[in-house]
Amino acid sequence: MLRLRLRSLFRRSAVERELDAEMEFHIAKQVEENRAAGMSEEEASEAARRQFGGRTQRAEECRDARRLSWVGEILQDVRYAVRGMRRDRMLTLVAALSLAICIGANTTIFSIVNTILLRPLPYPAPARLYWIAEILGRGEEVGTGADYYSLRAENRVFEDVAAFDSTTLNWSGAEKSEEIASAMVSPSFFRVLGERPMLGRTLARDEEGSKAPPVVVASYRFWRNRLGSDMHITGKPIRLQGLEYTVIGVMPQGYDYPRGTDLWQPLPLDESSQLPRSERTPFRILRMVARLKAGVGAAQLDSEMARLTRSIRSEYPPAFETTGFLSRMKIFATPLQRRTTGDVRPALLILSGAVGLVLLIACANLANLLLARAASRQRELAVRLALGSARSRIVRQVLTESVAFALPGGALGALAAYVAVAGLNAWQPSLLQNYPAISLDSDTLAFTLGITVLTGLTFGLAPAGAAAGVSIQEALKGSGHTASGGRRTVRLRQVLIAAELGLSLMLLIAAGLLGRSFLKLAHTELGFRPENLLTFNVNLDTNRYPDGASQLRFFREARERIQQLPGVRTAAVATDIPLSGDGPWSGQDVQVEGHAPIPLGHRPLVDKSVVSPEFFRAMDIPLRKGRLFDPSDGLKKEHVILVNESFAHRILPGEDPVGRAIRTDQPGGGVFLQRIVGVVGDTRGSNLGTPPQPLVYGCDCQAESPFLSRMVVVIRTSGDPHSAIRAAEHAIGLLDRDQPVFNVRTMEERLSLSLAPERFHLILIGTFAAIAVVLAALGVYGVMCYLVAQRTREIGIRIALGARSWDVAGLVMKESALLAVAGLLAGLSGSWALTRYLRSLLHGVATGDTATFATMPVLLLVIAAGAALVPALRAARIDPVAAFRED
Amino acid sequence: MSRPTDLVQGTLDLLILKTAAVGPMHGWAIAQRIKQLSSEVLQVQQGSLYPALHRLEQQGWISAEWGPSDNNRKAKYYSLTKTGRKQLEKESADWERLSQAISSIVRMA
Repeated sequence: MLRLRLRSLFRRSAVERELDAEMEFHIAKQVEENRAAGMSEEEASEAARRQFGGRTQRAEECRDARRLSWVGEILQDVRYAVRGMRRDRMLTLVAALSLAICIGANTTIFSIVNTILLRPLPYPAPARLYWIAEILGRGEEVGTGADYYSLRAENRVFEDVAAFDSTTLNWSGAEKSEEIASAMVSPSFFRVLGERPMLGRTLARDEEGSKAPPVVVASYRFWRNRLGSDMHITGKPIRLQGLEYTVIGVMPQGYDYPRGTDLWQPLPLDESSQLPRSERTPFRILRMVARLKAGVGAAQLDSEMARLTRSIRSEYPPAFETTGFLSRMKIFATPLQRRTTGDVRPALLILSGAVGLVLLIACANLANLLLARAASRQRELAVRLALGSARSRIVRQVLTESVAFALPGGALGALAAYVAVAGLNAWQPSLLQNYPAISLDSDTLAFTLGITVLTGLTFGLAPAGAAAGVSIQEALKGSGHTASGGRRTVRLRQVLIAAELGLSLMLLIAAGLLGRSFLKLAHTELGFRPENLLTFNVNLDTNRYPDGASQLRFFREARERIQQLPGVRTAAVATDIPLSGDGPWSGQDVQVEGHAPIPLGHRPLVDKSVVSPEFFRAMDIPLRKGRLFDPSDGLKKEHVILVNESFAHRILPGEDPVGRAIRTDQPGGGVFLQRIVGVVGDTRGSNLGTPPQPLVYGCDCQAESPFLSRMVVVIRTSGDPHSAIRAAEHAIGLLDRDQPVFNVRTMEERLSLSLAPERFHLILIGTFAAIAVVLAALGVYGVMCYLVAQRTREIGIRIALGARSWDVAGLVMKESALLAVAGLLAGLSGSWALTRYLRSLLHGVATGDTATFATMPVLLLVIAAGAALVPALRAARIDPVAAFRED
Repeated sequence: MSRPTDLVQGTLDLLILKTAAVGPMHGWAIAQRIKQLSSEVLQVQQGSLYPALHRLEQQGWISAEWGPSDNNRKAKYYSLTKTGRKQLEKESADWERLSQAISSIVRMA
C-alpha cells in the first residue's frame, strides 16, 4: 500500500502512462461493442469517446483517487521552490552561505553540549548513578568514611554505595618512572558503575581496608600505552610506589571515572577506624557515588536523603555540635552526570544562547531578502489568487519555499560543523580537555535538520504573512515593483533590521564584557615575577619516604643539586604555588594569641603553605615587614611563620603582625604557638580569577608534618626556563629514579593555562559577535539599497526640483540612523536584562559595565552608518532623467 | 425502459469488490458484469468506475496487474486481495442491514 502511494508520488510518469493505457483499452472495448451493435468504424469510435467523456477529467479524478493531495502538493511546491532558487542564484547563494555559517556554529556548539551535557555517561543505566556528598560545618562538599558506612547500611533506595578518592602513583616503567593518576576505590565501586572488566576481574568484596592485597585494575588507556596491550597481563606484577602490585584486570575503553584515572586500587579504609564516631578518630575524607534502585523516583530519593541526614546526624556524639558541625549538616544526592559536568555547564549554556542569537539574526536577514523577493512577485501571487488559488495554499507554498531555501544552508552548515569539530578536537581548549572528544552523531544531525527546518519556517513567516495579505486589486493595478502592500512590508523590513541590530548589540556587549574581563585578568597583579620561572611537581612514594624527615631530606638534596645546575639562579620547594590550579595544600584555624578567644567553629580558616626559605627569592615575592625565613630557624625551638598582606589586613587589622602568634590548643591541654616573623606581599591564589586570600607560610626547615611528600619545585633561571628542564629532571632521577617529575611547566605556561577558559569564551563569543555584526551590516545595506531602488523616481523628482545630492544622501543616512537607534535601544535593554547570566564568566567586570555599554553601541552605529553609506551615495548619484525613463 | 438507477454513494465500492471477487477482471469487464447481473438496472458511469478502481487499489483492497486480453491488447486486471475480501464481507453485511432497514420502512408505509 505504502509502496503504491510512493509509486504514485515518485514514479508519476509511469503511473500516468498506465492510466492512459487503461483508458485506451476501455475505449477500444467500447468501440468493439459499438461495432458489434452495427456502427461503422468511425461512428463506433466517435460514440465510444463520447460515452467515455472527458479523458483529462477522468485522469484527474483517478489522480485524486490516488491521493496525491498534500504530499503531492508539497512536492509540487518543492519543485517550484527549486526552480525559484535556480532563478535567484544570488539569493540562494547568500542564504546558503549565511545559514551555513550560523547553522554550522549552532551545530558545533550543540555537538559540544551534546557530547558533554546530554550524552549519557558510558555506564549501564547511567541515569541511576548519583553523586553523594555532604555539607559539614564550613560548607564544603565532602564525604566522610564514617558516613559512607552508615549510608551503605541504612539507605533503602540505593543498590549500592561506593567510596573512592583520587591520588597518584609513582610507576617505575621500563625506561623511566611516571606519575600515574589513580583512584583508591571500595570494592562496591565497580558494581555501582556497573561495567564488566575487559580482561580479568575487578576488586573482590574483601579487597579493601589497610590489609587489602597490593592489586590494581588498569584502564584501557594504561593497558594500551604502558602495558603494551598484553592480553595476558592479569596476574603479572607492575612496580608502583616502590612495591610490586598485581594487575588483576583491565577495564574496557571509555571506562573513565573519576576522569583521567589509569589505575584503580583498593581503598585503605576500615570500618573499625571510622565507627563509632568520636572526636578522637580522624575522619577519612572521601567521595561517594551510588546507584539508585530501579524504579525509585526523585521525590522518594529526596525524602530518603532527608531521612538519612537526620538519622546520621543523630549518630554523632553531641560534642560535634559545639564546632557548628551538625546543625548545618546535609547529605544529598546529585545526578552523577550533572556533577561531572558542573564546571563547564554554565559556559556551555551561555554559548548556546549566544549562538542561538546569531541564528536569529540570520533568520531576520533572510526574512528580509525573501520579503524583497516576495514584493517583486506580488503580481504573480495576485494572479494565482484571482484564478482561485486558496490563500492557505499560497502561504504553504511560500513556507515550503523558504524551508527549501534553508536546506542547502543546513547541509553546508553540517559540513562546516564537521570541520569546526575536527578543529576543536585538534585545538583541545583546556576547558574541554578533560572530556571525551567532541563528536557529531545522529542526534547532532537530527538537531541540525531540526533547526534548519525551523529556521526556514521562521524566516518564511514574514514573506508568508506578506503573501497572505496580498490584495488582488492593488497588486494587479499597481505597476511592477512599486506595488503597494509595500508600505506594510517596508515597515516589517525596518523592524527586522532594527531587531538584527539589537541582537548584534547584545552579542557585541557580551563580547565586550568578556574582552574587558580577559584583559583585566591578563593584567592581574600576580604578586611575583612569572618570567624565567620553571615549576614541576614531585610526589614521593610514602613507602620509601614514610615520614616528614625523609621527605624533607629528599627535597633538600634535590634543591641543592638543582641549585648547582648552570643557568639556575634559585631553586626552592613549596607545598603550594600560585596558579597551581589545585586547591590549597592545607588550611588552618586562626586564633591570635592575646586576642579574645573565638569558639572553635567560628575561627577564620586560612590557607597554609610550607615552603623552603629560598621560596620568596625564587618567586620574587617582596618582603613587606619583618624578615624572611632563615636556614637557622630549623635549629630554633619556637615555630616561626610568615603571613601575607591579606592575612595582616583581615586577621590583624590595624596591628603590627610581626611578633604576634597564632595559638592552637592541643588535645592534651598544651598550647602550640606559631610566631609571625614577617609579612610578605600577596600573590594570586590557585587561579588567576581568585583574589589573594589570607595565607600562612611555614618553613620546611621546621615542619614535622608527614604530609610533605607532594611538593612543587620552583626554579628561577637566568635564561629561558625550558633549557633547565632536562638537567633538573636528570638531577631528580639521579637522586631516586623511581620518583617521577611531572607537571613540568614554566610559570608563563601556567599563566596562559589559567587564562584558557576565558580565552575560549572570548574567542567563541567574539566570533559570534563578529558574524552577527557582519550579518546586521549586510542587512542594513540590503534594505537601504532596496529602499533607494524603490524610491528612485521620488528621489529623481527631488533632484530635478533642485535637491542637492548631499541632502539626498542625508535622507538615506537619516533613515538608517533612525533604524539603528531603535535597534540599539532594544539591544541595550536586552543586554541589560541578559548580561547577568554572564556573571559566572566575568572577573572584575560588572555585568552592567558602563564602558562596555557606552562604547559598543557607538561601534555598532559606526558600522551601520558604513553599511548605509553605499546606498546613500547611490541615491545621491541618481540621474533624474534616467529615473524618469525607467518606468 | 426506465433510466438506469444512479448508484447510492458508496455502493459502487461494494459492487466492484463483489464483482472482482470472481477473479481477475479489467475495468471494462467489471462495468459490463455489473450491468448484466443487475439486468441493466445499474449502469456504472465510466466517470466513477476508474477513480473508484484506483481508490480501492490505493486502499489495498484490490490489486492490479497487466495481462493480455482477448483482443490482444494489454489490459489492467483487478482482483480482490485478502484485506479486500474482509472489506467485502463487512460491506456486504452493512448493506444487508441497510437494505433490510430501508425495505422494512418502505413496506410499512
